[in-house]
Amino acid sequence: MPKVTYITPEGERVVVEQAEGTLMSAAVENQVSGIDGDCGGVCSCATCHVHVDEAWTDKVGPAGEGEKGLLELEDGVEENSRLGCQVKLTPELDGLVVRVVGR
Amino acid sequence: MPEHADPFSHARAEHGWLNVDCDGENVPLILRLKDVRKTCKDTSTFSSDLPPLIVLHSEAHVRDVRQLPIECDPPDHTDYRALVQPLFDRAKNDPDYMESIRSLVDEMVRTAIGKGELDAVRGFALPMQSRALTRLLRMPESEADVWIGWGVHVFHDRDDGGGEGFLLQSYTGGQFRRAEENPGDDFFSYLNQVEFRGRKLTFEEKQGFANVTFAGGRDTVINTVGSIFAYLGDHPEALDFLREDEARILTACEEFVRYVSPLTAIARKCPHATRLLDEQDVPAGGRVALCWPSANRDESVFDQPHDVKLDRSPNPHIGFGFGPHNCLGAPHARLIIRSLLRSLCDRVERVELIKAVPKVEKESSFTRQVGYESVLVRMIPRAAGD
Repeated sequence: MPKVTYITPEGERVVVEQAEGTLMSAAVENQVSGIDGDCGGVCSCATCHVHVDEAWTDKVGPAGEGEKGLLELEDGVEENSRLGCQVKLTPELDGLVVRVVGR
Repeated sequence: MPEHADPFSHARAEHGWLNVDCDGENVPLILRLKDVRKTCKDTSTFSSDLPPLIVLHSEAHVRDVRQLPIECDPPDHTDYRALVQPLFDRAKNDPDYMESIRSLVDEMVRTAIGKGELDAVRGFALPMQSRALTRLLRMPESEADVWIGWGVHVFHDRDDGGGEGFLLQSYTGGQFRRAEENPGDDFFSYLNQVEFRGRKLTFEEKQGFANVTFAGGRDTVINTVGSIFAYLGDHPEALDFLREDEARILTACEEFVRYVSPLTAIARKCPHATRLLDEQDVPAGGRVALCWPSANRDESVFDQPHDVKLDRSPNPHIGFGFGPHNCLGAPHARLIIRSLLRSLCDRVERVELIKAVPKVEKESSFTRQVGYESVLVRMIPRAAGD
């Protein structure tokens, strides 16, 4: 299971060793500020918006169609925006760094 | 739940809007998911500064206060909402509070199992929502009896569709006066004490917060819960399906909210003349409305939108609204529904549906079901050790 570093909107680095599930669920489990995951991970609430570190965008991949529909109306959207609930954590993502957008 | 038909599919495909006559005013309903979302975000073209017309039909006969924070625009909306958001967010970030609601719901399910036949709307959902609300607002649980007496919706729960006049304002006004004399840690005492931009809230502002709290979050939860019981009665395999995977409690909650969409529309006012969807002219001061149930059946977004898929994911529904005005009570509603599904999975083998009477809303250009008037059910308990 991968190690993931979340950089919160306040600038704090939260390192989650052996993160499980999705970028959203691992953040909620570890009380990462700025990620709420209100809808439980079905891509409805957009409370898990992150910017994927440039070095990791290829491995994480682009947003899906439904996800893009939410992201295009969110504040702070960048090329590397993803909703954390749609990023499954796999061993290939060991070392991943994301910046939490928050609200 | 086969009755929950979608009356908007033709208009959604053809135009993306549907006109409805609201007491002589023509109001176009916006029907497609993407268009509704965009409208929600554009608060300068589509304003919420429209008391008492945030719903399709004027509520001037039941209230004379501006509901807060919903009936105003940013930046006022942002600052008003920030005053009460922490209270409502306890339903997602306060473990003790969350456990208290889970226990309440579980206790009510256990009691309901022992009752044999019961109406899941007025005999279960109404008291459950009311008792949960006392905990959210830190009020004595006995106060739930007063709220239960108002019925499913305090503004319109009589046979003739009417309500009890200014009953709600009279009640909440009394509570603010009570809280002045005997302050505690309840919702009313909090609003008496909190500062907004360096001053206390006016009586009208406090009444506005209280008004939407009681008018907005009761029938919506109750209609969704009643519909869940009707669905489980129609689909005896559903509880077993949920029991197979804990994550399905979360997905099923969102799917029921999408499918039932317990609020038909919320209005916006156009301060300036606007051309809607390149087709429909809205005059300055005219209204448009965001049609949540239509957006939630948008065929371009949802695969088989008229089916209930308890493990639907992704499920980008907007059953709790979208944008800055999204439902303040959504965490509480989710907590209640998830707690209910979990308790039913733990304690109930199957739900037997005896009789369901749909609740129907009629407008000039459409008729739609919004939950049920009554859902007579019997809950069959799981055998010990299951």
